Amino acid sequence: MAEVPTTALPTTGHEAETDALASDELLVEEVSIDGMCGVY
Amino acid sequence: MALTFDLDRAWRVDPRVSLRPEPFGALLYHFGTRRLSFLKNQTVLAVVRSLDGHPSARAACLACGVTEAELPVYARALAALASSNMISERTPHDTRA
Repeated sequence: MAEVPTTALPTTGHEAETDALASDELLVEEVSIDGMCGVY
Repeated sequence: MALTFDLDRAWRVDPRVSLRPEPFGALLYHFGTRRLSFLKNQTVLAVVRSLDGHPSARAACLACGVTEAELPVYARALAALASSNMISERTPHDTRA
């Protein structure tokens, strides 16, 4: 089986981050873990 | 729901928050509220980490390379963090934890 070549992750530069921003982009995502099983 | 945030006030990461940098940005965990927040890029992480070193959130954003055009996006992010108590306004009496 041929190996799938892995590629290095591109460096996250500010320009790349700028390009990805949209006017409704949310840079923060929130999660509540109350009630999650296995969380202490 | 519109979140408002005063960029011209001084802010800081709440002392009850643990911040863990990740390749995607960062995880924030508030030990009081048990809430998790994910920061989605390195720039917003840099802004959050530098908040207590600047006289205002606007100054922190600009120092981290955020442009004027991008400020509304970062203000929304900071507003979300403020609404979940991950960051709080800094007073002259606050000392860094």
